[in-house]
Amino acid sequence: MARRRSAAFAIAAAAVLWSGCGGLMQPDELARSIGTLESSAAEGALLARDVARDRTKATFARAHARELGEAVDHEAEKLQDASADGEVGVRKSAAVDLAGRISETLGKIQTAPGSEEEGRSAQRALTRLGDRAGRLAEGL
Amino acid sequence: MKTVLRIALGVIAAIGGFVDIGDLVFNAQAGAAIGYPALWAVPVGVLGIMVFAEMSGRIVAVAQKPNFVLVKERYGARLSTFTLAASLLLTVLTLGAELGGLGFVLNYFFDVSVSFFILVAVLGAAAAIYFLPFGGLERVFGYMGLALFVYFAASIKLDPDWGEIGRGFVPEAHGAAVYWYFVVGLIAAALMPYEIYFYSSGAVEEGWDERDMKINRSNAFLGFGIGGVLSVSILVASTQVLKPAGITPDNVGSVAMVAEVPYGELGLIVALVGILFAVGGATIDTAFSAAYNLAQHQGWKWGKRFRLLDEPRFTLSLAGFLLAGFAIAQTGVDPIELTEYAVIFSIPVLPLTYLPILLVGRDRQVMGRYVNGPLSRVLGWGYFGLICVLAVAAPVLFVSTNGGS
Repeated sequence: MARRRSAAFAIAAAAVLWSGCGGLMQPDELARSIGTLESSAAEGALLARDVARDRTKATFARAHARELGEAVDHEAEKLQDASADGEVGVRKSAAVDLAGRISETLGKIQTAPGSEEEGRSAQRALTRLGDRAGRLAEGL
Repeated sequence: MKTVLRIALGVIAAIGGFVDIGDLVFNAQAGAAIGYPALWAVPVGVLGIMVFAEMSGRIVAVAQKPNFVLVKERYGARLSTFTLAASLLLTVLTLGAELGGLGFVLNYFFDVSVSFFILVAVLGAAAAIYFLPFGGLERVFGYMGLALFVYFAASIKLDPDWGEIGRGFVPEAHGAAVYWYFVVGLIAAALMPYEIYFYSSGAVEEGWDERDMKINRSNAFLGFGIGGVLSVSILVASTQVLKPAGITPDNVGSVAMVAEVPYGELGLIVALVGILFAVGGATIDTAFSAAYNLAQHQGWKWGKRFRLLDEPRFTLSLAGFLLAGFAIAQTGVDPIELTEYAVIFSIPVLPLTYLPILLVGRDRQVMGRYVNGPLSRVLGWGYFGLICVLAVAAPVLFVSTNGGS
């Protein structure tokens, strides 16, 4: 009885592992990932706007930009590791590229959280990148 | 005059203890993802905690029995041990999330490292527990937590659509699982088990008796009520700032930014101070709550009203839970994700937490003339039914919505 229960448990665990790992990335998974990028870009743009207007605290801007950048990098790693083909594969590659640009721009806020000039430039760039992320996720 | 002062202080303490990292996160996320239509879930949760807090405070005033003593008496050895294990696990997870949140908030002020500030936070909490009297703990964190009213001001300054807000308080039928995920999360965040354990044990600490019924009622209704106003304010302000921008708040900084948009740096700093003390208060509440539960289950002498060194087992367990929370926070686990897990998976434990209160509250032999009245009975059992439904729905919604995403 105990052996049968152990075997059933092993089969169930294997099924869970099999269903959770590997396989091709699905459109809804990619849409979620791109959504994270879009959200981070939008939040970065809001933060950059306050940097540009000197309406935030430099330590906060630096630490928060770092957090957003790390979230974007993490998402890029997940995207890079995922397998995808066809249209999803093309968009996945574009999303990895986009993530790199968003992270790089957030890095500028992190480096110069007191620079209004950098803030303005980062705000423009992040708004543009966020819009691109939105377009990339369309129809997924 | 003395009674009025005690009521005022208790109310402030209840506000400070109500808004923790779970409330901050779930309210901001619900505002960003759903917006005003999720508003009605806040008063539903707040009324629930009011009903059970009032009942448990009344039980303490009459019978001097805090909640986990009731659990032990009513459940027997096996079920009470299971309830203890589940509540300790969730409370320590919550404690880890609160400490992690404190690490992030302190780092926003000084930008050294989150890990370093988690250490500072745990040392600060330990020092406050050791040096401040019980009432002092509640007042310091309660008063400073009032800085969260910046969200109330922000939600008005951002010029919301009042008609939409009004309609948000009317529940609506909705097909989207994400909507229900946030509704369930908002109700659960208000009913976290540690709050009721801390409230009833705190009443014992303060030596409540039958003369304190007014203080109990005002603490429960006014204190949690004003805490509910803060929750609504965070949700409304997040709806105005985060939702139109398409931002999903995934960290404490996103919640703080909601106050920065209307008020600039000053708003940001006031919000961070409010979050720091509200979450700091919740850190102390959760640590005490875990130690209270263990001590009450084991029949040890417990409480801050005694010298901590005179009750080594309680003191050691308090220190041990703080260390366990610190260890969890130091693993680098995201406190926001940890909070979401703690809130959602606390729901299946809620019936075990709240049932003994209902059973004792209706027991005329124990409660005498303070037995539950018709309104308490109807609301209590109504909420118990709701909690049982949520206990089944929460894990299902969590999985089906991928944690609300």
